[in-house]
Amino acid sequence: MDITIQITNAAIAQNTPAVARSGAAGAWAEFLGLVRGEENGQPIAALEYEAYSPMAVREMRRIVEELSARHPCLAVTIIHRIGIVPVGAAAIFIGVAAKHRAAAFALLAGFMDRLKQDVPIWKRRALAELPPPGGLAPVAPATPAQPASAGEVLALLERICRPLEPERVPLADAAGRVLREPLCAPEDQPPFDRSSVDGYAVRLDDMAAQFRIVDEIRAGDWKPCQLQPGEAVRIATGGALPGDGLQVVMREDAEREGAVVSVTRRNRNRHIRFRGEDARAGQILVDAGTALQPGTLGLLASLGCVRLPVTRLPRVLHVATGNEIVAPDESPRPGQIRDSNSTLVRAFLGRRHIAPVQLRIPEDEAAAATAIRNPQSAVDLLLISGGASVGEHDFTLRLLVRLGFTILVSKTTARPGKPLIVAQRGNALAFGLPGNPLAHFVCLNLYVRAALEAFAGGEACPGFQAGVLAADLAAGGEPRETFWPARWKFTGGRATLTPLRWSSSGDLTSLATANALIRVPAGAERLQPGAQVEFVATEIMA
Amino acid sequence: MRILLFAHLKDAAGCAQFELNCGDVDAEGLWRKLMDVHPGLAHFRHSVRLAKNSEYVAADARFTDADEVALIPPVSGG
Repeated sequence: MDITIQITNAAIAQNTPAVARSGAAGAWAEFLGLVRGEENGQPIAALEYEAYSPMAVREMRRIVEELSARHPCLAVTIIHRIGIVPVGAAAIFIGVAAKHRAAAFALLAGFMDRLKQDVPIWKRRALAELPPPGGLAPVAPATPAQPASAGEVLALLERICRPLEPERVPLADAAGRVLREPLCAPEDQPPFDRSSVDGYAVRLDDMAAQFRIVDEIRAGDWKPCQLQPGEAVRIATGGALPGDGLQVVMREDAEREGAVVSVTRRNRNRHIRFRGEDARAGQILVDAGTALQPGTLGLLASLGCVRLPVTRLPRVLHVATGNEIVAPDESPRPGQIRDSNSTLVRAFLGRRHIAPVQLRIPEDEAAAATAIRNPQSAVDLLLISGGASVGEHDFTLRLLVRLGFTILVSKTTARPGKPLIVAQRGNALAFGLPGNPLAHFVCLNLYVRAALEAFAGGEACPGFQAGVLAADLAAGGEPRETFWPARWKFTGGRATLTPLRWSSSGDLTSLATANALIRVPAGAERLQPGAQVEFVATEIMA
Repeated sequence: MRILLFAHLKDAAGCAQFELNCGDVDAEGLWRKLMDVHPGLAHFRHSVRLAKNSEYVAADARFTDADEVALIPPVSGG
């Protein structure tokens, strides 16, 4: 029996499968479960579904197998939609092909009963109105036979990648993450009038030269009192003023003798940081979309914000395929090479706080498909490092199609990185990365980075920046747009770029020192020092 | 071990997943640990089924730190 099970974020579109038209089947029973416009007596616009996808698929398969023992069928197709499903749309599709209708009806009805008992899928909530879409937007399948330019791939990624859901993380884990809700001051900042200097608080209207010290206030003390004329309070920097209408005389402007202080100099500066001077209660302190920096975290700590709503990190599975690769700590036999791409990918993601699951598997489509399906959580991003040859590129393409991905880009017009693949399945995005280390580096820094930034949902980052060449760049009239490894630095207030020696996309030495990629326009012969260029910084510089 | 939470359990715990070090425990031991970390889960214990590595477990199942354990509240698909 042929069982197809799919959990998808996209609208359900189903055609009758071949087996139902082959002559073997006498019945094809279809069921669509639709979202009704009412939930608990209230009108709704949509339902949001959630699934534990790997387990849900397994459970559905197990149920179908059990039921088909009693009701023999030829083929079963099940598609359950998750995410936001608008009213009138199908949340589930089931199609059953059988020799006779009784078995098809029985299996279908039995399945729906069991689904509602055992399959880990939940109606999460009803929505009164449709929100703007998140995650990956569905796209119409492109015609990926045409190579895409780097700009087109980036535009595609920008179009389909949406911010992932928020989660709450402890303050200590929030550095570098993107805040998803604005954080407001819970109270006035500072919360009380406090002294900005070490000195003596006296009444503003009391112009006496000598004062009797009646109390001492250190930072952290809270001692409200009404000062009388002729009285002063010794106060430390940060100490809370004991009342209104006061001024702090700096310690340097006064002389103390026992319990008496004489003011030697007095000016109009009150040396007070007033309540609410920094921020008023309720005022937005940190906007949604802010990448959390140490300073921001310090501020939030001072406000007692200890669990912050940030975009969750993407779950990334990285698969290095190839028969010729061995782990870096192994000695390659003749014809083998060490796998450098896994290290490159891990370090690239690590800087973005993402720890990928990594697999190294031989070039065997069935084994690779099984290994990729195995991970227990659904992934947001699947990276496949393939070889560089045409055969290896085709292998990755076939593998992604077998895994149910729709191919959006199958090659680019840019160099290096021509055999880049971009594919989508439901909410998962996949990249087939060409195996050459430099091509890998370029594709990670151009395309994967764009996807990760869109997933994080921060403020738009500048993709390409403007810089000036510090040395000759002999592009040689290459007809393709080229991303040339370079080193960049700030010189005299502008970014200057020194192109690195680069002979082939397998070149590892330029990779070791590059911190930028210069975008060399197609057909450029030779770019002179001083020429304006666009570049991508591959190293994060503050 | 990795603990996965779904549906309203995510709201109760304030996260979708977290790491828990348990050693080797039975369901009772696991729940005790879970409720230590997220007391809010206690309220849902009676209705939650446990799944280990994507399969429902029997009552006598044991859990180790290598497992991925999902807390499955009553399902409502379809």
